[in-house]
Amino acid sequence: MTELNGIDVTFRICGAAGDGSLAAGSFLNRAAARMGYHIMNIDLYPAEIRGFGKSVAHTRISDRPVQTPGSLADCLVSLNDLHAITELDTLAEGAVILYDSKPPNYVEEDEAIAGFIEPGMIGYGIPLGELSSIATKSARSRNIVALGALSGIFHLPSEYLRDAIRERFTRKSEEIAESNIRAFDLGLEYANTRLVKADAIDFEERVPGARDDVVIVSGNEAVARACLDAGVRLYAGYPITPATKIMEILAKELPKQGGVVVQTEDEISAIGHIIGGGFAGKRSITATSGPGLSLMSEFLNLAVMAEVPVVVVNGQRGGPSTGLPTKTEQSDLNIAVFGGSGDSPRPVLAPADVTECHKLTVKAFEVAEAFQTPVILLTDLFLANRVEDITWPEGDLAIWGRYENRIADPVAAEDFKRFVITPDGVSPRSIPGTPGLHYPATGLEHDERGMPEYSPENHLRMTEKRYLKFNTLRDAWPAPVPEGADGELDVGIISWGSTIGSAREALEHLHTTDMNAGGLFPRLIWPLHEDALKEFSSRSRNLIVAEGNYSGQFANMVEAVVCREVIRITEIPAGPIPSERIIEVAGGLNR
Amino acid sequence: MASEHYVIIGNGVAANAAVDILRQGDPDSRITVISREFFPFYYRHKLRFVISEELQEDQIVVRPPAHYREQNIRLRLGQEVQRVDLKEKTLYLKHMEKVHFTRLLLCCGGWPRIPEVHYTYRHHFTIVKGLSHAREFKEKLAGVKRVLMVGGDLVSLRITETLLRMGREVLFLIDRDSFWPLTLTDEIRTEFAERLTKHGAEVLIDDEITGIEEVAGIEEGTSGYEVTTRREKRISCDLVGAFFGLVPNVEFLFSSGLDIDRGILVDDHLQSRNPDVYAAGDCAQIWNPAINNYWVSIGWENARLLGEVAARNMLGESATAGAPKESALDYEGLKINTSWWHIYD
Ligand SMILES: Cc1cc2nc3c(=O)[nH]c(=O)nc-3n(C[C@H](O)[C@H](O)[C@H](O)COP(=O)(O)OP(=O)(O)OC[C@H]3O[C@@H](n4cnc5c(N)ncnc54)[C@H](O)[C@@H]3O)c2cc1C
Repeated sequence: MTELNGIDVTFRICGAAGDGSLAAGSFLNRAAARMGYHIMNIDLYPAEIRGFGKSVAHTRISDRPVQTPGSLADCLVSLNDLHAITELDTLAEGAVILYDSKPPNYVEEDEAIAGFIEPGMIGYGIPLGELSSIATKSARSRNIVALGALSGIFHLPSEYLRDAIRERFTRKSEEIAESNIRAFDLGLEYANTRLVKADAIDFEERVPGARDDVVIVSGNEAVARACLDAGVRLYAGYPITPATKIMEILAKELPKQGGVVVQTEDEISAIGHIIGGGFAGKRSITATSGPGLSLMSEFLNLAVMAEVPVVVVNGQRGGPSTGLPTKTEQSDLNIAVFGGSGDSPRPVLAPADVTECHKLTVKAFEVAEAFQTPVILLTDLFLANRVEDITWPEGDLAIWGRYENRIADPVAAEDFKRFVITPDGVSPRSIPGTPGLHYPATGLEHDERGMPEYSPENHLRMTEKRYLKFNTLRDAWPAPVPEGADGELDVGIISWGSTIGSAREALEHLHTTDMNAGGLFPRLIWPLHEDALKEFSSRSRNLIVAEGNYSGQFANMVEAVVCREVIRITEIPAGPIPSERIIEVAGGLNR
Repeated sequence: MASEHYVIIGNGVAANAAVDILRQGDPDSRITVISREFFPFYYRHKLRFVISEELQEDQIVVRPPAHYREQNIRLRLGQEVQRVDLKEKTLYLKHMEKVHFTRLLLCCGGWPRIPEVHYTYRHHFTIVKGLSHAREFKEKLAGVKRVLMVGGDLVSLRITETLLRMGREVLFLIDRDSFWPLTLTDEIRTEFAERLTKHGAEVLIDDEITGIEEVAGIEEGTSGYEVTTRREKRISCDLVGAFFGLVPNVEFLFSSGLDIDRGILVDDHLQSRNPDVYAAGDCAQIWNPAINNYWVSIGWENARLLGEVAARNMLGESATAGAPKESALDYEGLKINTSWWHIYD
């Protein structure tokens, strides 16, 4: 995505585990973000245990906010040629390839990336291993030499990169830090004195605006931080990609705030634990991915029936079953929305980016408590693992509504009806142990006091009540605001979750053409704001729904509301849908 | 035959002529073409138009890389063979990769000759063999007013024309022995000089360089040269172009065990002493039974024919490299035999 007027460069640093490609990526991210560039990074590694495969740090650096990691790379750094060769088809026209020009031994035919560099690519050979050995007496700092070379070739301000390296290694020892700085400087010097610049990427030593408040955070880290900010008291979970990181962070941090983390024997137990926590009036959460959500489905129904506030984060990945554990997908929408037995309404939220992972996690707790319901937060592997430069959101996050947490008044405790029918469906709840406010919480259909009651009339009344508060939530949650052009649209793009970034980037592009394009990007995925969808549809000559699943799970929901056939971009490319794909489809439409 | 791996060092006219025959004759074989130049196959005789910016680089390309992909040929550009191990049938590339072959064709061309007497000044000389040189020449010309052309060969003649057209002053120092591939009689040399002078060049005959010193250039802020000659002339110029003809480019083969004299010694089937190794084009020194000696011939059309002959023999045919038709240069009425050098406009 090289954009020569401004800076918009996508790097891929590729190696085998132990080559330090991910570390190099993280230094690059940190340094670039501190310079004031916007970054989006995603680390890619195969499903198998990390030790065996390739790992790739994919980083996009831009002087404008970035919506996607970019699909094609402008620069590939090879720390392991065998792996890097498999990355060649991810390169943009004119891409730069940086490789070790002096590996210790000859390699066999077709095992050197230099052997694949063709016109249309620019190769820079640097003796990475040799320079690393000079600096640190081992080849382990080849990644740092490569960073130095990148700084020299592309004129990336070196001081920021040095700081990022120093910060990391000083934790180990001053000596290690200094030898790595030496490795960096050797790479820089080599690039400055020995390479003839043949590419057009130039950061011109520019620092668009040094920032101290910026943090480099992944979606998972943002969720974990939101748990801490929201005063979570219980996290229970069973490890699973890509959600495990949330548990890892909370296991460290939550006890410091008086909270508890329980690693349970499975996902059923995990949700059981947090239903207990929610019932007890403590903010409780679990995080899982598709296979775990499947296991949790019955307990989710209990939380619906017993009106217990809990939050379930689901980091979607390729499925069904174990599926593609390390590849992203948005295919758990159906199970999140419709995965209950009986009429089992549950709100589903989906953040679009890392900042929203934080905001919507906090919101999820508010919604869970205010509407006494389980809330499912749908992230995905791409969003969970990708890293962005953000500043932590401050304030009350009221853009997604303000909700009242209705607790029953113990003074009025006589004849306590925990599930009393109210005009908005929300009944004041009690915290167990409050004198006079005890009640049975049960998965059986019950009356207003919580006592089992199976008459058809009662079942209808209570089902209506549960849907009523569901509708109350929809009314309280601001309807999604259309983005882009007003009035009649040549094309309207609807999307959700992490695909919103690609859709927005596509919109940005379409606005540079003569096409009238707009977007509608709900974050409250269920219940849907039907009126907003209908209004947007009525203005859109062509209506696209873009999402990362095969069967068009959201498209099906949208079609049911807008009563027309939508144009589906429903793809499972084992990565985010590229904005170019949306542009291509939109560009080919009749106006 | 399906298991053959033909590897060709070079991506010039000889190599490409050979590739076509090999692919046709052995459709299932693996073919690899290796060239240290990072640019597709191009017309060398059009380089002067790149220097004068009358042509863009892509306008001198004969074959783009896509052609090789279509023909299922692995094209390795910008990759230098540093060593050939005939016993292991392995090439060692500069970037530390091995390439194995079953049959090898050497089409590694020629390289500008720098006569021994001038060897010490070689760092001051600007040469034109490939596109990278043409680029360099073009870049240098930006700040150049006066060019000294030394040696003399058919390339230099063309480049002189180009420089004069570009409005540069040219001083031409004709070296008696190096107007290559021509042997100049005194009479022809004088006639040449006359014509060059008529075009605006200043010509020096019967003189030679005795010293070159880098000094400040004629234009402020540039660098130039102070050249002294045997006849005690002092010449100030901004660039010294050296054109003493081409010689086979075979240095990297010295340790290979192949027989090398001026070029790679091959029989009239272009086969070397190693039955799996052939040579064609400017790099080959070919046995000619008629003269009972080996000959080196430099020239585009000749290289093309030799490439074809070598490829046929590699496929098992029996083709011989007869001497190609000789060409003649007509330089404003002055007709000279140019061996196998074909005249292109
Ligand atoms: C400026 C100029 C003008 C000319 N004008 C004319 C003209 O008008 N008429 C005419 O008949 N002839 C002309 N010639 C000569 C003609 O171009 C050559 O005779 C012809 O190109 C020879 O072809 P070739 O295939 O043998 O070798 P070349 O074209 O020289 O190709 C050699 C190839 O070998 C590769 N190579 C060499 N060493 C290695 C290595 N170690 N590893 C990997 N690759 C290697 C090179 O990259 C190149 O691809 C001119 C030459 C020049 C330089």
